[in-house]
Amino acid sequence: MSPAPAPIDAVQKWLTTVREFLFGMFGYELSHHAVEMRASVESLFMLATVGDMIGVPILPPYYSLRLLPYVVPQIATWKRRVLREKEFTDEHDYHLHGL
Amino acid sequence: MNTLVVVIAAVVVIYLAYNFYAKRIDRDVIQANDKKATPAKMYMDGVDFMPASRNVLYGYHFKSIAAAGPIVGVITAANLWGWLPAILWLLIGVSFIGWASDYSAIMVSVRNDGNSMSAIAHKLIAPRTRTILFVFIFFYLLLVAGAFVGILAAILAARPDVPFGILMLALMGLLAGQMLYKMKMNLVTVTAIVVIVTLAAMVLGPLGQTKDANGKLVQGPVGQATVALNNAVNAVTGNASLYSVVDPTNADPRIPAPGADGKRASTAVYNADTGEIKTMPSYLFWALFLLVFSYLGANLPIWRFAQPVNYIGFWITLLTILLSAVGAVLAPLTGIKDASGAAIGAFALPALKDMGFALKAGAAWQPIWPMLFVTIACGAISGWHALFGSVGTARQLEYETDALPVGGGAMFSENTLALLSLVAVSIAGAGGGGGRFAAGVGKLVFAGTFGALPEAFGTALGFGAFVVIVLTVVQLVFRVMRVTLTEWVGEAVPAVKNMHVSTIISMVLTLALVLSGTWVYLWQLFGASNQLMAALSLLLVTVWLKSEKRNPAYALWPMLFMYITTLAATAVTARNLYVTIATKAGMAAVSVGGAWAMILVSLLLIVAALMIGYDGWKAYQRYGQGATTAAPAPGD
Repeated sequence: MSPAPAPIDAVQKWLTTVREFLFGMFGYELSHHAVEMRASVESLFMLATVGDMIGVPILPPYYSLRLLPYVVPQIATWKRRVLREKEFTDEHDYHLHGL
Repeated sequence: MNTLVVVIAAVVVIYLAYNFYAKRIDRDVIQANDKKATPAKMYMDGVDFMPASRNVLYGYHFKSIAAAGPIVGVITAANLWGWLPAILWLLIGVSFIGWASDYSAIMVSVRNDGNSMSAIAHKLIAPRTRTILFVFIFFYLLLVAGAFVGILAAILAARPDVPFGILMLALMGLLAGQMLYKMKMNLVTVTAIVVIVTLAAMVLGPLGQTKDANGKLVQGPVGQATVALNNAVNAVTGNASLYSVVDPTNADPRIPAPGADGKRASTAVYNADTGEIKTMPSYLFWALFLLVFSYLGANLPIWRFAQPVNYIGFWITLLTILLSAVGAVLAPLTGIKDASGAAIGAFALPALKDMGFALKAGAAWQPIWPMLFVTIACGAISGWHALFGSVGTARQLEYETDALPVGGGAMFSENTLALLSLVAVSIAGAGGGGGRFAAGVGKLVFAGTFGALPEAFGTALGFGAFVVIVLTVVQLVFRVMRVTLTEWVGEAVPAVKNMHVSTIISMVLTLALVLSGTWVYLWQLFGASNQLMAALSLLLVTVWLKSEKRNPAYALWPMLFMYITTLAATAVTARNLYVTIATKAGMAAVSVGGAWAMILVSLLLIVAALMIGYDGWKAYQRYGQGATTAAPAPGD
């Protein structure tokens, strides 16, 4: 049996929980939308530079090679994002409802 | 009965249902396992698939499902059948059906690579199920838009103290979007500015109201300006109505509530002797105002208008609900009384009204079964939650074991919002619809602040919150509606791919329904389509459980209940429309046209539900006979 947390730790945990809940309720949607906007710009950039990786017939520009070290960390997630089959209910508009 | 009893009953029932039923299903049937990789981890793409803390997701899911539905539904149901059936359905519904629908939709998606309900239905049931879902979603949205625009236009036309707050909400929404995303200001600062200004505008509306020697309300400076605007608009027709309608259910928001003697008084737009409701130019003006507001929400970039307006609206609603909740607990304990000397904590609404089983020729039929179960949709169970949960929350769960606190927990929390609305409506002595809710909030806020905030301001806050929360939903409904319409018919009719064309088509259809003047039927048809969607999501869960060789009982029985109930409710509504409007002599042409349109929608929903039910039954049998592969997908 694990020892009971010290009172101060328990309070900290509760405060963290409340803070996360409030962020989820008030800030998460806004921050998530900011991430979506960044991702859409990033997708365009990736398509222009390394689009040939997913079969888009673009002539790899000279700058692709120079930018490659910087875009490598994004390649895996970008590929998943753009190659995933999407449904109509995947649109961001469906996430905002409140009914 | 008093408010504290409701609070205690809700806490006990929710505690028992969550700990002794929901947790058992999660552990024994679904067997949630925190060692299994969730789609958020497996397919992490930095945007849609992204693990998040369960506390964050709980707040996010709650915020996404808590809105106008649980408020408007309980107000309507409590006025039709009394508070007791409403409270019983809310507590029993959420305990056995509501949480199961929200939670299961998330879990089915988690166990199916984060796919949406329509994609899973395509795979598990039949390819055409996905197409039918389009029909459901579009008409569901059309009905809810009609019901919400109808109730709001009536309030804005009748309450000159409300529109100023709405105008400021629109301006603050634009400002908040600019400050957050362009000027990159701190969220707390932005929130403080826009929420305070919007609240101040809502309070400014009724400021300076007095009563004359005859007891008639005289508007303050802001209200006077709106009255002058209404008069100018009405002068276009020389103060004559555009046309008149009759609402056989007496539930139109323009009809005043009965007085102490049980009779309704005539107003400027309602003739108590003939039952005629005059459609004045000002009513049309405010309906168009709402559509312009919604047009901005539907077509501007989401960060510029729709999202910040929704954000401000949620704050205002939350503040109102929190103040009301404190009042609901304190009122019976302190014994505080309102201006008329009545105890605030005591229920004024009768526990039971006519159960409505008696069928009278030529009159609306509102039997408690099945109509209560579609009148109160959100708060007890909602199909929309399942649709949203599968594409939003399910893709962000870090652990499978988070699904219950997030999906189930948020649904139980939304139920408390509906219960608080019910409490507010039940303690209000007078008013109808939104007015009764606002009056109840006024009393609760008065009690919650130990009398520091006068009832009049609490009532204004209640009215404002009601309008704001409904309006923020309406703009999003039109946004989703245009996307759905484009997906549905965009390939066949390319013009619809233009977002302005699809928005205008959606709005014209909505306005046609609003002007037909049959509000309660609109609301009940919306509820029926919503509950049918819930039944279909539970059907999907049942088929999935069967395909996984698990016991499907916890989803099967609620699904059957909701499926039969909502089909029956849709049929009853179609019958009511046919008998009381479509074939009744002396009805306005616009009402008759609207009634026939809604009858057609009802039949369409019934046929679509029967087709999905039939396909679901075949899939259930197929998996019962040991099939393990997905249904064939002809043509797809």
